[in-house]
Formats: sequence, C-alpha cells, structure tokens
Amino acid sequence: FTSLRECKMQDFGSLILEELDKANQLDSLKFAQRHEVDEQKIVGAIKSLESLGDVIQTKIYQVKSWQLTAEGKEVAANGSHEYRVYSAVPDSGIQQSKLMSSCGAFGKVGFSKAMSAGWIKIDKSQGAPVVMKLVESASDTVGEHMVLIQKGESEKVDAKLKGEYKKRKLLEEVVDKHYTINKGTNFRTKIEKAPTELTADMIASGTWKTTSLKPYNLDALGVETGGGCLHPLLKVRAEYRQIFLEMGFSEMRTNNFVESSFWNFDALFQPQQHPARDAHDTFFISDPATSNNFPSDYLARVKQVHSEGGFESQGYGYDWKIDEAQKNLLRTHTTAVSARMLYECAQKDKFVPQKLFSIDRVFRNETLDATHLAEFHQIEGVVADYGITLGHCIGVINTFFTKLGIEKLRFKPAYNPYTEPSMEIFSYHEGLGKWVEIGNSGMFRPEMLLPMGLPEGVNCIGFGLSLERPTMIKYKIDNIRDLVGHKVNLEMVKRNPICRIDKSGTGEERRLQVLNRRWANIESKLSCIQKQMEVMGISSPNAHGMASDASDGNLMDVVIKVHPDKPPYSLQLLLNVLKKRFKVAASTHTHSSVKSAGSLVLSSDESRITADVKITLIYSNVTRPTMIVKNAQIQGEENIVRYLARILDSRGGGNLYESLDSKVVAQIDNILDRLTDASKHSVSTLIPGILTKSKYLAGNRVTIADILAYSLCKQAAVSNSSIKDWSKRVEDAIAKM
Amino acid sequence: RLEVDPSVSSVRPFVVGAVLRGVTFTKARYDSFIDLQDKLHQNLARKRTLASVGTHDLDTIKGPFKYMAKPPGDIKFIPLNQTKQFTSAELMELYSTDSHLKPYLPIIRDSPVYPVIYDANGVVLSLPPIINGEHSKITLKTKNVFIECTCTDLTKGKIVLDTLVTMFSQYCTKPFIIEPVETLINGKVEVYPSLKYRTETIKAEAVSNLVGVDQRPAQVADLLSKMCLESKVNKDETITVTIPPTRHDVIHPCDIYEDVAIAYGYNNIEKTTPKTLTVAQQLPINKLTDQLREAVAQSGFTEALTFSLCSRDDVGAKMRKKIENIPAVHIANPKTLEFQVARTALLPGLLKTVQANRKMPLPLKLFEISDVVLKDLGTEVGARNERHLAAVFYNKTPGFEIIHGLLDRVMQLLEVPLSADKSSSGYFLRTSTDESYFPGRAAEIVAYGQVIGRLGVLHPEVITGFELNLPCSGLEINIEPFL
Repeated sequence: FTSLRECKMQDFGSLILEELDKANQLDSLKFAQRHEVDEQKIVGAIKSLESLGDVIQTKIYQVKSWQLTAEGKEVAANGSHEYRVYSAVPDSGIQQSKLMSSCGAFGKVGFSKAMSAGWIKIDKSQGAPVVMKLVESASDTVGEHMVLIQKGESEKVDAKLKGEYKKRKLLEEVVDKHYTINKGTNFRTKIEKAPTELTADMIASGTWKTTSLKPYNLDALGVETGGGCLHPLLKVRAEYRQIFLEMGFSEMRTNNFVESSFWNFDALFQPQQHPARDAHDTFFISDPATSNNFPSDYLARVKQVHSEGGFESQGYGYDWKIDEAQKNLLRTHTTAVSARMLYECAQKDKFVPQKLFSIDRVFRNETLDATHLAEFHQIEGVVADYGITLGHCIGVINTFFTKLGIEKLRFKPAYNPYTEPSMEIFSYHEGLGKWVEIGNSGMFRPEMLLPMGLPEGVNCIGFGLSLERPTMIKYKIDNIRDLVGHKVNLEMVKRNPICRIDKSGTGEERRLQVLNRRWANIESKLSCIQKQMEVMGISSPNAHGMASDASDGNLMDVVIKVHPDKPPYSLQLLLNVLKKRFKVAASTHTHSSVKSAGSLVLSSDESRITADVKITLIYSNVTRPTMIVKNAQIQGEENIVRYLARILDSRGGGNLYESLDSKVVAQIDNILDRLTDASKHSVSTLIPGILTKSKYLAGNRVTIADILAYSLCKQAAVSNSSIKDWSKRVEDAIAKM
Repeated sequence: RLEVDPSVSSVRPFVVGAVLRGVTFTKARYDSFIDLQDKLHQNLARKRTLASVGTHDLDTIKGPFKYMAKPPGDIKFIPLNQTKQFTSAELMELYSTDSHLKPYLPIIRDSPVYPVIYDANGVVLSLPPIINGEHSKITLKTKNVFIECTCTDLTKGKIVLDTLVTMFSQYCTKPFIIEPVETLINGKVEVYPSLKYRTETIKAEAVSNLVGVDQRPAQVADLLSKMCLESKVNKDETITVTIPPTRHDVIHPCDIYEDVAIAYGYNNIEKTTPKTLTVAQQLPINKLTDQLREAVAQSGFTEALTFSLCSRDDVGAKMRKKIENIPAVHIANPKTLEFQVARTALLPGLLKTVQANRKMPLPLKLFEISDVVLKDLGTEVGARNERHLAAVFYNKTPGFEIIHGLLDRVMQLLEVPLSADKSSSGYFLRTSTDESYFPGRAAEIVAYGQVIGRLGVLHPEVITGFELNLPCSGLEINIEPFL
C-alpha cells in the first residue's frame, strides 16, 4: 500500500512540474478538481516536491465554506424537523402525546419550531392537549436551504440565516487550506528520486561517494521500541528495597496475608476493645476462621500484661479473651510480621541485634475513595538492639528519607497503641507549600517486647509509611485506581520513566539542574586554565585580585551567591560600615534556579561606574554562600565576612577583625568556627552562654563574630530575650561606626 | 447512692456515679459538656458498648437510685425530647429509624431484660445505653448535676467518670469539688468517682537512655511539670512522678518518658545513628521474584499489578470452576463483592486488566509475579501464600506457542532442563483437563516430578466471562519450588 501511494505521489509530482512549466502558477484545489483526485493526495505530492529543495515555491491560502452536519444532511434528505412535525398533524388534529411518539427524535425540536412559526396550535379544551394545524399549507424553507448548501450553492442562502442554522447545529463552517504553487530557483521538470538510505550496494560499488541521500525528517519520532515494561509502583518498591539494603536492613518474611488477631493485635499490646479491631476496619476470615496454635507460655504472658499488667505496666484492666485472639483476619499492618520476627529473635539463646524491613500488602476494610483502597503496600523498618534511643529513631528515619531526596523533616507527638514514644513524620512539600504527614514511627512498648522474652535493655524502634501515597505524589496521580489494580492504563505503564527516587522535581527544575551543572563545569574549567596560566608564568590581569585593583581606585568588585533561605544579614551590617568609608554600589538579583529572592535586599544609590566597592548579591540554588572575587571563590558566610572585614580593617580602619589584638583575633576565629558547626538549636544556646561573660561575643567591642552570629540568629529566627538585647546592641554599635 | 440489683449482671453489670454541685452552664459550656460525653462514648467506651453516661438535673429527682434490669415491656417512661410515654420495646421500634441512636440499639435489643435506673419515687432516669428520660433532662438552668455511668467494663466506666468530672468540676460553685456517690453492689458499698492518684518512681538515667538526650534529674522533673505531671527529685536522685486521675493513659514508665521527650521537643533531639552492625539480606523468594520480573519484561511482557482480593466468581464461575472445589480463603465481612475471597490464582486479575485495556493495540502480553492465598490446614493460621508467575497473550490468534515460549524461557533462566523422557530430571508438558482451558488445548507443567502449573488456550466461556472476544492463551505456575 505504501509503495503504491508513493508511486502515485511521484506521478502527481511530475504532473505538477510539467503543468507548472507551462502555466508558471498552479492552484492545488483547481489542479485536484481538474484531475478529479482528492486534494490531499496533491498536497502530499507538493510536500514531497518541497523536500527536494527550492524546486517549487508554495503559498498557503485559506477558504472558508459551509458544510452540512449529520443532522443537516438528514434535513436535506427528509425535510426540516418542523415541517415533518407539521406534516404529521392530520387536518382533524391529533393528541400531543401521540404526535410526539410518532415523530421520534426530531419531535421535540420540530414541535417548538412549528409552534413558533405559527403552523400549529394546541387545544386543551378537551382535557388531553390536542395539536391542530393553524395554516393550511407550509413551505419548508429550511429544508430547501439545506439542499442548496449541499449542492455547493451556499451563496444563495442569506448569511444571517446561515448563522442561525449553525446555532441549530445543522451547518458548520469549515476552513480549507489550499496551495498556490510557483517555480522555485531550482525548478526543473524532471526529478530524480533521491535514494533514502545507504545500501549494501552503495558500499560495495562505492557510489555512496557521489550519491546524495534524501534528508531525514528529524522532527518526526523514531520507531517505538518493543519489549515489556515493569509496573511503576513496583519500580518504586525496588528503589525503597534498595535503600533499606544499602542501610543494612534485612528483609522480613511477609508472605502471609492471613494472620491471627493474636499476632496482628494482641502481641502488639493492642487491647481487644480497640476500635481498629472492629469489623468496620478489619477483614475477618470466615474460612479458615480461627487459629489455635500459639506458643502457650507467651500467650499467657500476653494475656497477663493486657488484663492485669506486669513488666512495670498497669495493663488495661479488662477481661482478655482467647476467642478474640484466635480470630483470623487479613493482616492490617506488616507490624504483625515484625512481632513474629522479634519473637523469633527472642527465642534464640543469645540476642542478636536486628535491622529489619518489609514492603508488602496490608488490608483495611475501610471506606474507599480516590486515595484509599482496601489493600495497599506498607513499608516498614525496625531496629532492635541494646541502647537504642529515640534520637536513633529520628536519625535512622532522617537517613532513610535523605536517601529518598527528602531532607526537611519534622516529628510530631502522636498516639499508637504499640509505640511509646510515638511520632508522626512530616516533610515539607515544596509543591504544596506545606508540611504533609508522610509516615509514623516510634519505639515499641515494653509491654510488647518483654512478654516476647527479649532481654531488658533491648529497645526497638519502628517506622512505617505507605508505598502508594508517595508514588502518587511523585507521578502526580490523583486516583489510586490509575496506579494499582486491573483498571490501570497499560499505556501509562509503558510511558512511565525509570524510578530515580532522589531526583525529584518538575521538568523545569531538572532542566535548571542540568544548566547549573553546565555552569559549574565551565567555572571549574576556567579555574583550571587560570592555574595552568599561572604555572606557565603568564599572569592574568587580575591575578592578585584587589591589590592591583585598589591601585586604580577600584577597591573591589565581588559577586556573592546565596540561597534565599539564608539571607546574609552579616553583609547588611558590613555594608553600612563600608558605605561610610567608600563609594559603594550594591545590587541584588535572583537566579532562575530559585523561586524567589531572600528577605534581604542590598542596594545603594551609587552607580557602578563611580563606585570603588561593588557588591552584587545573587540569590541562587547554592548550598553554601559563595563569593566570587575575580577568579577566586570564597565559600561560607564566615569566610566572606572575614574577607570583607580585612578590606575594611586595612583600608577603612574598621577594627572588626585582624587589626585587633592577636589574642582577640584567635578568640574571634574560635567563635567563627563554633558558629559554623553549630546547628540551629545550639546557636540559641551557644550565644547566650558566651554573652554571660562579656558584652559582645569577643570582648567588649563589636567584631565580626557578632556580625556572623547576628546573621545566623536572624536566619534561624532564634529569638530569646538575651539574643534580642544583644542584637539591638550590635545594630547600634554598627550604626555608630 | 446507687443501689445495684443483681438482675443487671447479665446485661450491663456495673454502675458508677458522681454529683457536681452549683454548676453554672453557659451555652458554650453546655454544648461542650454534651460533646465531651459524645467523644467519650465514641472512643473510650467504644460506641457505648463498654460504658455510657447519663447526666441528670439532680433537683428533679430523689435518691437513692435503683439500677435494675426488667423485661422490655415493663419499662415505661417519656424519653428525652418526646412528649408521650413509650415502653422500652416501643422505643426500640421508634429509634430503629433514628440515625443517631440506631447504632446503639443492638447492644441490648436481644437481651431478655433491659437495664434501667429509677429514682426513689420510681421516676425513670435512663435506659442505658440508649436514652435518658425527659423528666430529669439537664438544661442551661440546671445547677446540680447527677452523673451515672453504666458499664460492661468497670475500668473503662471509672475512666469515663473520672474524665468527665475532672474536666467539669471547675464550673462548680466551689471549683474542683466533686460530690461522691455510693454504689451498693453485692452487699458492698463502693464510693465513686475513684479519682485515684498514683505515683511512679523513675530514674533520669533511664529517661536519657531511652530518649537519647542527657538530662539531669532536676531537668527531667522540670520537663515533666511542663506536661502537668507533678514531679519531685528524691535524695537518691530518683524522681517521683504523681499521675493524676486525668491521665489514665499513663500506664507504664515509658508513657512518662514520652512526656519528657515531648516537653524537650522531638525536633530538638539530636539525630544519631545506631551503632548496630548488621548484614543486609534479601528474602530469597522476593529476590527471585525481582530477577524473574526483569527477565519476563525483557521477553516482551508488560507487568500488571492486580488486587489480591476478588469476588468468588472471579476465581470460580468465571473460570468455569466450582468455588467449593477451590481452596479459597473467604472473608467474613466484605463490604462489596470485590472483597469476597483472597485470590487463588493470578489469571483472573490479568484477564480483568486485559478487559480494561481492550482498546490498546494487539497483541496484549501481560504478566504478574505475586502471591496468591490458599487455604491449607497444615499451617499455623490455616492458610498460606504461594508465589505465582502468570502471563496471558491476547490476540486474534491464540498464540499458544508464545506462552509456551515464555515458559521455556523462564525454565531456561531457572536452569531447569527440558526432560525429553518425561522424567523428574527436568520439566515437561503433558495433556491435562482443566475447566478453564479449551478441551485439548491445556497442558500441565511438570517440573522435577511435581505439577507446578498449567498453560493453554483459555476456554471461550472464560474469555466471554471476562467480557473479552478474542482468543487468549494463559500460563500460571508456582515458582516456590525453584527457590
């Protein structure tokens, strides 16, 4: 079929060229009509002539025309709806209901149109409404117009009426594209078909040297690859598995969907009256309905801790019943398996530390909606060892989520029957702009661990999340049925990308990441070239940075890149001092790698041309503040502060840093180091601690230690009264300098 | 005083009570009082089954009160918000359409006797756990409130009463003063509310070891007072913590440790990594599954992920099998037909996936490697999972050779040789009759002498049963023997 079509096209191509040779100009529509072929075929031939390179020149023009819709065609064939309704009314009248049923689909429209045309009337005097003819005869203009338009004589129909027919959906306006063809600069009547592909013959005979191949259309897509695909959710599961394995967690034996209430609830110290054990939440099994085979001494300890307490616990003080524990169910969480694993571990002669994980199905008899199904995958991690703390729990969860590319985490108190302390895990969702719950965690209760026979002092942390929810968020799927189950679209499965779970972000963010990497690459190459030049003894014009600049009155020109989350308030203070001593030009910009600028904006009235200190602040996606001074990079806010203070001290008499007594300088350096290593929490304790001994951080005058600390406190929004007072002192002292 | 008649022992055996004097209700306080009861009923009292509260205007009734059980027809009173008298049997009828009260009716409905509380003059206070009487209804003008709490779980009843009175006693004329009520039961007098204070002695070291922050005893005591747990550091550095009756959730020292951690702030705790050294290990069946999934996908089949719950018909009638002959695990309380049984085979899920994707270009080649659930009385819970591999080929021609080719490929990957002499040295096919397959177009797969599954052209009735109309071949095997 393809070759036949191509052959035809070739024929039309030659024909077009021949006629064009004689006529100098052709019209695709007229050409097609003349040769009685579909114009689309001619367009195809024109396209392939165009690809030969300026053999012909074409211009597109558009023609609007009227065409009948399917309904319009029906009217043309059978008359208008109203006329048909009118015709169906006998002279003696007819009951309305009978009329409507005899007219079928067009009855309703036709009736109202015939009424408004004044052709028929309704007589209700006899009870049931009767339709009567109002005029003796009617002429069907609408039907006639349709016939005219069908014949291509639409100009005979009034334009206003055509508009009305369009509203009635009898007509539609179509736009057709046609071509005007002229000779091109390479016009010729004979076209040799350019070979499309390199062939074995060409290679053997060497004709490839003289052959010009038909150019490829690189705008078209390639042929789809064959092969099967893995399911998106299970690709994500594989990533989670990998992360657990990287962290040294072993996989639990979770291939048992049917579980007894004992292991699913009782072993976890979940009381028998707990609402989760209600039939509204749990799938119970009718066949096989019960389990009977429990370790009897363990069962007795579980019973005791529930009903009377023990192991330092008060218990729940209720009548614990074996019947409740025996009920079989579909496990509601994989923690049932964790309980079995921990019990097994406790039965060994010597306790061996455990790091365990599982990702498997769990079942809830819940109300279903767009994000909830009766079954879903639970991801669970467990660590059991002597001396495990809540700090470890937070640490392990933090490591786990960092590997997923989630770094902003918060923990909130929560209640869970088998963990104490219990924590809900929240992460900051950049897209939604809020903190969202992503999992649950805690330390298993002693009432769960000790009856198992685990030694005292062994603590156990656990955390869990669902597999579906983060996957839905990652792939922006709103309905869980589009991800799991038999209604999933296989096209989606096919198109789904490989799972790079730590590479989150939109297409735009990924594009920026690539651009940033390219920029970093260029910068690093430039600095290599710079070093090589130095080795070769070629000094670059600015090799000695500000020293040589200073001599021509250009003290410094620096670019400082910072992340908008950490506005460098230290610069604001230093800028105030600089402005009193130099002509300073300062400006603030935002790079496209970040959404918005930070809260600090540096500016000045001085123009860059006359200024001798030029500071350009750029908010961009950098992890550490970076200052670029000609060809060197200075990293970290503390080092930027040092650099600027040196200039102030040496040229402006700033007395903020190196011009001070060497003991004080050492003290300042020490504080700068401690501040740099400090977390948010310790900044708030570190600073007040030092301030109990002196007015400022390094003695009784403001130094860059105060300037940096001021900035860190403001960034972290640390405010307690002693920090507030000191901040005010720093601002005042700077203002007086 | 509340006097308990032995007749209640079979239906709702316990009652506890208390009186709040001189309460000043405002609209907000009144609403809050009702809300609190409602919350306690729903959560702690597990929808009134364990305990239920009735509150009454004490000035309209006269003690001592009698708690007894009577046949439904013998209890007659005007219930709350009604104008005429009903017997309790009539009330069951009346409330059977009341969306608020309907869920509580089954708690006593089928009992031969219903619990009821009378005052000294024979006025009905309440028909627990359903409704109070109109007579003793509390209003914004009520000053003295009598609270009764009937229960099947005495511990829960005490907690409910303690919680209610501790939260509302601040609105009494003498704030925080609660008047006790005696319960006479089995000839013994108990006084309620119990309002028991309990002490627990803990060590700062234990807290530090659990939470992972270094805190001195004084600091721990400080943090606990922030959480309203009165704490005192003893000479031996231990800390005595007083647990008030408002904190029935504290049942173990670890509950106190949690309060320390909360007061310290979870987000202020230093993140640390456990020193625990372990060697990671994959579960062998999951490792094998993942390796096979890759290989089957490379063979041109696309992975489906179907539900493990389905209807009886999915694994039964639609597959031309009798549900009684299938070792299926049946769910007792499914909300819809979709959750009647756990699947015993993967093929039905794959066929449903084909059905939902009929408009995709042919052929459709799908597979799934996942667990099915089989009833097996030889196991601890009477059922076990089995890891299956299933695949379907759906096209204008059945494509048995394609499915067969997939089986050969899987066997090749598992290093199971084809056994030409049909011995247990490898795998071979033999003709089989299976209702789900077209007669003469089904084969059993025997590997190492054991039947591991079947393949063949599906029966036309199976195809139409899943609302399909083209030939389809299928394969399903158990991969566990190859572990």
